[in-house]
Amino acid sequence: MKCIFRNKRVNAILSVVPGQESRFDDERSNYHLTEEKARRMKKMMGLDRHRVAPPGVCSSDLCVYGLQQLLNEGTLKKEEIGALLFVSQTPDYYLPPTSNVIQGRLGLGHDVICLDLNQGCAGFVIGLMQAFMLLDVMDAGKVVLLNGDTASKLVDKHNRVTYPLIGDAGSVTVIEHCAEENAVHLCLKMDGSRHRALIVPGGAFRMPSSPETLKLAEAEEGVVQSLEQIHMDGAAVFNFTLEDVPPQIEEVLSYSGNSRESIDYFLFHQPNQFILKQMADKMKIPQEKLPNNIVGIYGNSSSVSIPVNITHNCGKQLRNGALRVCLSGFGVGLTWGSMVMNLGPLATCRTVEYEAA
Amino acid sequence: MNFTFRRKRISGILTVVPANVRSFVEEMKNFNFPEARSLKLKEVMGFDKHRLVEPGVCISDLAVFGLEHLFSRGLLGPSDLDALILVTQSPDHFIPPTSNIIQGRLKLKSDMLCMDINQGCSGFIIGLVQAFLLLEQESIRKVAVVNADVLSRKTSPKDRNSYPLIGDAASITIVERDTEDSRIHANLKMDGTRNEILMIPAGGFRLPSTPETAVLNDVGDNNLRARDHLRMDGSAVFNFVQVEVPPLIEALLSQAGVPMNAVDYFFCHQPNRFMLQKLADKMRVPYAKMPSNVVENFGNSSGVTIPTVITFNMKERLLKEKLKVCLAGFGVGLTWCAMLLDLGFLDFNNIIEYQ
Amino acid sequence: MNRPEFYQRLAEILDVEEVKAEDTLKDFDEWDSLSVLSVLAMADSKYGIAIRAEEIRSVVTAADLAGLVEAKQK
Repeated sequence: MKCIFRNKRVNAILSVVPGQESRFDDERSNYHLTEEKARRMKKMMGLDRHRVAPPGVCSSDLCVYGLQQLLNEGTLKKEEIGALLFVSQTPDYYLPPTSNVIQGRLGLGHDVICLDLNQGCAGFVIGLMQAFMLLDVMDAGKVVLLNGDTASKLVDKHNRVTYPLIGDAGSVTVIEHCAEENAVHLCLKMDGSRHRALIVPGGAFRMPSSPETLKLAEAEEGVVQSLEQIHMDGAAVFNFTLEDVPPQIEEVLSYSGNSRESIDYFLFHQPNQFILKQMADKMKIPQEKLPNNIVGIYGNSSSVSIPVNITHNCGKQLRNGALRVCLSGFGVGLTWGSMVMNLGPLATCRTVEYEAA
Repeated sequence: MNFTFRRKRISGILTVVPANVRSFVEEMKNFNFPEARSLKLKEVMGFDKHRLVEPGVCISDLAVFGLEHLFSRGLLGPSDLDALILVTQSPDHFIPPTSNIIQGRLKLKSDMLCMDINQGCSGFIIGLVQAFLLLEQESIRKVAVVNADVLSRKTSPKDRNSYPLIGDAASITIVERDTEDSRIHANLKMDGTRNEILMIPAGGFRLPSTPETAVLNDVGDNNLRARDHLRMDGSAVFNFVQVEVPPLIEALLSQAGVPMNAVDYFFCHQPNRFMLQKLADKMRVPYAKMPSNVVENFGNSSGVTIPTVITFNMKERLLKEKLKVCLAGFGVGLTWCAMLLDLGFLDFNNIIEYQ
Repeated sequence: MNRPEFYQRLAEILDVEEVKAEDTLKDFDEWDSLSVLSVLAMADSKYGIAIRAEEIRSVVTAADLAGLVEAKQK
């Protein structure tokens, strides 16, 4: 799918991370790794610290906190909200939709359209796409895009392949109409035949929750997981990222009439430092233009990793000016979507820590 | 929010219902109520039979079955689908999206959009709105809106408020551009402050499923439910529908400049016959124009009841004629919405059974 | 393919002095999921091919791995 959107802009991005930070070195003993292996893993994957939500805190709580901040600061007014999108793989309930629960918590009006979209790593790009499409049929009003995931609840503390890299976060992005053309180019592909590469086998309707699905098993050394947790085929995901994403980046650059030089930053989903370095090398993009540091600071928060990447690495620049960016989200589905756009100046672009009410 | 869409049409509707039929009379013995009282309720509310999936059957199974039916009969070309919108509250997994699983099982092309939207009773209308939004993009020419739910698997067989009414089903609606300058009007409203009226308390991330959440409890009215089960506040839903839906439909018709008597049919979400007849009374619409026979034949399959009421009642008529219809969805969220459109000259409009 | 060069690259990934054709990969201390990723990366960047997870699991010796890469290059 290829689209161009016009006369829309992002006005603000706020990332919300849990207040408590955990360090890889402190958690090392959970993984039964030798000091040498641990050192190797840290270095290769770019690990150091990550943020995990405490029990009882859901993705929606992180997003509500962020949205409330923007409302309190006056960056956004309640009456301006025309649509509320909640993109997550960790919703509050099967029903009702979490976006309606959020609508109720914040007392948003009855004319606000609320939608829950189930999306993972490509969820920020797909959320923006949805916001642009809605704005096309809205005369007035803004779209609030919430991305939130607490994937730490889908990973066991002793799983050395996934837990060190996981992060929880929420983000609030405000999108509005604008007079300038401000064209945004999108290229998106999906391949469901490889959906098993990233899956939570049990807990929903294919394999309902039971004492069996909650049992932990060691699939291979250090890979401790239950059927209700994320099962990742690391090699399949790695190959996918290196094979399918670079051609899409070429495609979106060409589609938008850009080159590596005309793009200020390539702000990608942040699975780990190793794969991002490989991608940068393969696509001949200088490492400074393709930040790969988020996993080591906050962890990989699925669709939220792109907004966290933006607010952490480009916050100041985007508050003061504009950047031409290429966003790319790739993973669950398998889905890969890339977008070229001008971003900024933004009313706000920063990261805040979640505080319970 | 009000929407007006132009040059879009529905070109076919297929409903898939499980072959497994259960009747209220058989199931009565599971309830903690005297038989005579249960039979009285049956008369008033209008339950009789409902269609339930066999254990282990999921929405992707129903959807794949339906799409394969269309492909094999040449009613739809697999490579023609540019988007698959799946509207459901009962996904196969939390990760990945079930629409990708369907895409994979049917070997559909990678140059397409697959989306899972969580919606219930208003899901057919919301799925259509999403399809219309997508069809504004040049690269999207044909969209499959798949509505599917298997909520019987999360409904307590000992809950007489919910179990007799529930049904499982899937529908596939093909939406594409129209050469005629047709207009489609829609109005959607949502009130999240009343979201607890229709919910499943456990199983998501607010309250994960555990052995404790599976325990059946008497909820105070002789019905037994676990926190893993669907919970519906029947009288709150009834009041909500009576208060909110008629003004919404009136506002929609007024906005579209179409008088009530120019509408051929009102195809509403089907909570039960009683509620729909009361709604028809309030709106002063003759019962013949507002069919209410889905629950007694198939059960309430959430968002799928609207395509079910259309395929069940209209059948071949919609292949040969075009009618002015008003769709109305109301429920989970709470959400209430209506859509006015011309529906007809369809390529297909029927129900098939899933074995 | 230049096999000595391949074995040298493999030795760097496994952090050892040298790797011989008949060496069993599982016997190396550092043959773990991280090394597998490094091998996949090397296969892509140096040899222009992708190795699947199942294929890596079926390989026993360094020579098997070299043979796998060569076969894919054709």
